[in-house]
Amino acid sequence: MNGWTGTILKVDLTSGRLWRETLPAEFLHAYLGGRGLGVRLMRGFHTLDPFAPEMPLIFAAGPLCGTTAPTTDRLAVVSRSPLTGTICDCSSGGRFPRQMKSAGFDALFLSGASPRPVVLRINGDTAELVPADALWGKTVPETIATLADAGSVAAIGPAGENGVLFANIMVGEGNGGGRGGLGAVMGHKRLKAVVVDGARSVTTIADRQRFQLACQDVLRLFRASPIIFGELGIAEYGTPALVDLVNQRRMVPTENFRRTYFPESRNYSGPAIRREYGAQKGGCSGCPIQCLKLTPRGEYLPEYEALSHFGALNGISNLAAIVRANTVCNELGLDPVSAGATLSAWGEGRGRFPAADELPGLLADIGHRRGDGALLALGSRRVAEQLGNPGLSMSVKSLELPAYDPRGAYGMALAYCTSNRGGCHLRAYPLSHEILRKPVATDRFSFSGKGRIIKIAEDTNAAVDSLMACTFSFLGATLEEYAELLSAATGIEYSPQSLGETGERIYLTERFYNCANGFSVADDLLPERFYVEPGSGGDGIEVPAIDRARFDEELQKYYRIRGLTPAGTFADPRFLEKLP
Amino acid sequence: MYDQIAKYTRKLVADRSALHGWIAFAAQDDHLLTAGEPYLAQLAGDVLGRLDALGLVAARPSLPFADFIVRRTSDQSLIIPRDTETRTFLHDIPFVRSDEFAAGGPELLARLLGNRKGVIVEGVGIVAVGAVTVEQAYINYSSVFHAVFVKYLQDLLTGGFLLPGEREALEGFRSDWLRPLTADGLVFRPGPLTEPALILSEVTTVGRYTVERGLVDSFFGNISCRGDDMIYISQTAASLDELDGCIDPVPFAATSTTGITASSELAAHRRIYETSDARVILHGHPKFSVVMSMQCEREGCEITDCWRDCPHVRILGGTPVVAGEIGAGGLAKRVPPVIGESGRALVYGHGVFTTGRQDFAEAFRLMVEVENWCRHEYFRRLAER
Ligand code: SF4
Repeated sequence: MNGWTGTILKVDLTSGRLWRETLPAEFLHAYLGGRGLGVRLMRGFHTLDPFAPEMPLIFAAGPLCGTTAPTTDRLAVVSRSPLTGTICDCSSGGRFPRQMKSAGFDALFLSGASPRPVVLRINGDTAELVPADALWGKTVPETIATLADAGSVAAIGPAGENGVLFANIMVGEGNGGGRGGLGAVMGHKRLKAVVVDGARSVTTIADRQRFQLACQDVLRLFRASPIIFGELGIAEYGTPALVDLVNQRRMVPTENFRRTYFPESRNYSGPAIRREYGAQKGGCSGCPIQCLKLTPRGEYLPEYEALSHFGALNGISNLAAIVRANTVCNELGLDPVSAGATLSAWGEGRGRFPAADELPGLLADIGHRRGDGALLALGSRRVAEQLGNPGLSMSVKSLELPAYDPRGAYGMALAYCTSNRGGCHLRAYPLSHEILRKPVATDRFSFSGKGRIIKIAEDTNAAVDSLMACTFSFLGATLEEYAELLSAATGIEYSPQSLGETGERIYLTERFYNCANGFSVADDLLPERFYVEPGSGGDGIEVPAIDRARFDEELQKYYRIRGLTPAGTFADPRFLEKLP
Repeated sequence: MYDQIAKYTRKLVADRSALHGWIAFAAQDDHLLTAGEPYLAQLAGDVLGRLDALGLVAARPSLPFADFIVRRTSDQSLIIPRDTETRTFLHDIPFVRSDEFAAGGPELLARLLGNRKGVIVEGVGIVAVGAVTVEQAYINYSSVFHAVFVKYLQDLLTGGFLLPGEREALEGFRSDWLRPLTADGLVFRPGPLTEPALILSEVTTVGRYTVERGLVDSFFGNISCRGDDMIYISQTAASLDELDGCIDPVPFAATSTTGITASSELAAHRRIYETSDARVILHGHPKFSVVMSMQCEREGCEITDCWRDCPHVRILGGTPVVAGEIGAGGLAKRVPPVIGESGRALVYGHGVFTTGRQDFAEAFRLMVEVENWCRHEYFRRLAER
């Protein structure tokens, strides 16, 4: 088979049994890989408790991983989120995905729970579980350093071991872009890490010349995109390039979303970070963009979301403190977005946001679930409920919102609510057209047409996350070029339209799982604050509260476009059975 | 959405890329709507209803070039655009012959548009889709129109007239469609401009002039003016005739990244300001300039991707021509060294940069001169064939 390896490694952590299985070609063609494959493999397990031993934790690469297709050496980790109760997938880069594919696997399917801490070690053709008692309790960098000789590492830190509901699985030291607490699922399985050393590149390409031409088309579009390779773009400054822009657009969540403007953010802007830290480029293997930034000593610098949520959201402008907080998250294996947002909700609740110098201690307490950290480790929704003020949690479906205030972009407002993993901007990435003007600009203060735009983008991104290309690629390239890459690599003809249909299939499968777990229109809702309090207007920009009636109207349009009922559910309870 | 449809119908008429009365749009959110000429509106709706996209335009181009291109070949099913701007974003443009359309109908068009942004239908016109907005459908239509225009004129230079009616059509195009290109009647604010509010207002005005006088295709192109420590530059994907609120102030010293949304040619603009005494820059894609920039007569050259790799500086009517991809490709390196002297430069298969040492009057006049020279030279060479 071209593109895919066609093989999955299954591991029963309870019994310690490991075996290979062939993945049906129809699955691969219909769900591509990555997120789509993981979501399909969750069928039948999707209503289990996230911490039930039988709950699978799936690592999946895409059909272009291991080729030179730009930004496609990425990994999806899929399971059910203990934070949100929704289906959850996280995308990461690093060297791990290519190594996993080189070891011959499109995916790893990890179920059961080991009686003692273990590491899954894959070396070429051999795979084994090895005891890891000595690693339990270690930080992510310590774990990676210990295992580095055995290959590329995906690991949890103390946060995952201790069941923090927003613990991450770190794929390499700086690639923890995950949301939803899948690190805690891994911790419950007592799986400390997966380390993999692939023997050889196994991804074969059906039509090399066609593939090379498609690669050139993609790279030309990257170079033509000011957002990617422009002199102020993410290749130069990483995602911190957004700090100035989002603030200028008056949509930076400040002090738990009470305000939307934070002039002090200039202290941690892209240029400020470059000035203070001499930031150097880093990133995922095989990616020409290299959007991650490191200090000359190799310490990963925060991405936009972490900067903004430890910064503006908590009223902190001290860059060193923010960098330190981000590093603590990387060490403990914590999602910095949920961490920053949970601290902020708690801060508003107790009448005082954390001071810059309190951050490292509070984060350590969260990672170890001690002191105030025991409560904070549950995420903002549960914290706010325990404080008796549920409205403090700025989350959708319990997932803390990222650093774009929905009052400043109405497609974003809708997308937060329709995202299948809870309040996330990446499922539809409306930032691209509402703020970054790609592929064209849309009116960010209008709901007009947004229902369909979000639907199309969700489908597109579900396909992108299954090809396992990076979202940022699509600030330059489109599915046209990636369909061409996929067709050339696999020898099977794909088009943007057919990939959109694949994305739709994946999206609806996820939504069906969520509905089976009780989610409905009542959960597709923003926190009350956004419907009643205006943001911080100024400089000729008005940021009013969102018109609830108009929001509801567009949500209903979205449901109709999706073929859902007015309750956001499926009219046909056998819907899933009709899909491949 | 009807307001959007009305707006872009007006634009298609104003930029004379579509025939008045032969324009239709379809758009859909949770239901489909159509507007415009009844036959085309029906077609637009039938096609869009089969696609997951927001808008679609079907219109008859104001020039017969697309149909001529189709009929000049018997064995092809698509056009590869020659100009780099269009080729970067469109790759190729499928065309459907009238007998294929009779057999395949909207289903066939939907299949093709599931893969590409625009398609030519012989005897019908150009059908283009916008995934996200009605405006995007208009842009894609306009890009196809531009690509066809450039390719057909180039084909004529290399292959001559092949079909009955072609020569007459071109003569009609020359005498009726083309208008004298001048800067007459336009009012420019005398420079140098230093006051930010005045700069923003002047950039907005001159952006509109470039569209009104046909110096850009759809709205592609960019424009900037330098202040004391800032470059004021049009945003990426900004309509040059609607720049109000779409101009980014970018500090010369990289102290802020607010300008991440600035034009993809920011690097070229910055470099030109750094290496010359320019105070304003205009960049457009006037069609004859694009055509003539590709007429290289060097014999025995081994370079195949001339638009990207040509290392030579050619002179065309006093204007230097260089190669270079858009954005972070080679253009930002190759244009600044050659533009200083004359204040003008042509980019192979792409467009024209001009500068003004004081204000936009000079930059605009230079762009008009370049295009007029290329237009004149084109017809001279065609007559000589
Ligand atoms: S753009 Fe950044 S996150 Fe995306 S693949 Fe490249 S380095 Fe990784």
